[in-house]
Amino acid sequence: MNRRKFLGLGLAAAALVPAALNATDFRTEKPDMWKAEKMEDAIKAIYGDAKVTEDKVSIKAPKLAENGGAIPVFVKSDIEGAKTVALFQDANPRSAVAVWTVPENGIIDYGIKIKMRKTGKLTAIVEDKDGNLFSKVLPVEVSIGGCGG
Amino acid sequence: MKVKAKLKGDVIKVKVLAKHANVGPEEGEKKKVEANFITSVVAKCNDKVVYELSGSGFISKNPLFKFQFKGAKKGDKVEVTWTDLKGKTETKAKAIK
Repeated sequence: MNRRKFLGLGLAAAALVPAALNATDFRTEKPDMWKAEKMEDAIKAIYGDAKVTEDKVSIKAPKLAENGGAIPVFVKSDIEGAKTVALFQDANPRSAVAVWTVPENGIIDYGIKIKMRKTGKLTAIVEDKDGNLFSKVLPVEVSIGGCGG
Repeated sequence: MKVKAKLKGDVIKVKVLAKHANVGPEEGEKKKVEANFITSVVAKCNDKVVYELSGSGFISKNPLFKFQFKGAKKGDKVEVTWTDLKGKTETKAKAIK
């Protein structure tokens, strides 16, 4: 192996490693989505104008949440090779709650506890490998609001 | 932070309980404390990322994260790291049971 080839290999390896190990930080990459007040604006800020189909995704959350400060939410999907999963709601001052980057061969079955100020709708969106968007909307009734409200 | 990882069949089920006040901007104003929340959670197993989340102030106080992944065996370590708005991080590793 000559020197030039060797250096080239090193460069390729250096370029590959951070991509495999580092997290995609949506807070720095898509700052607008976290500021959006409306759900539609937040979705647009992260995924652009792509069409959203309500299919293939499921959300599990209590129909009536007694404590809006900690609502257990599960997002599930069988879409293979999905890239990202995003969770939104329309009860708080801003819409975006969390975004997951699905690792290679990852299983989409994410549990998280969230805050909701009042009764509202949850929306989960899964982006598949071709950029198609699938969603699920689920209303949640909140009796005591979380989020300081 | 508490981490639990359990092998069931060929799937590893992981629960992460982070200790964090997770105060959003509006909530902080009301309670007269500074807003600070977990902005990212990353879990790795055998040098591979198995979980990645970017969060907001609307995740609950002392949040619980649950997820599953494949491709590891008993005794392998799952390493979870969270980062908050002020840049503080906490890491914990736990062997899969």
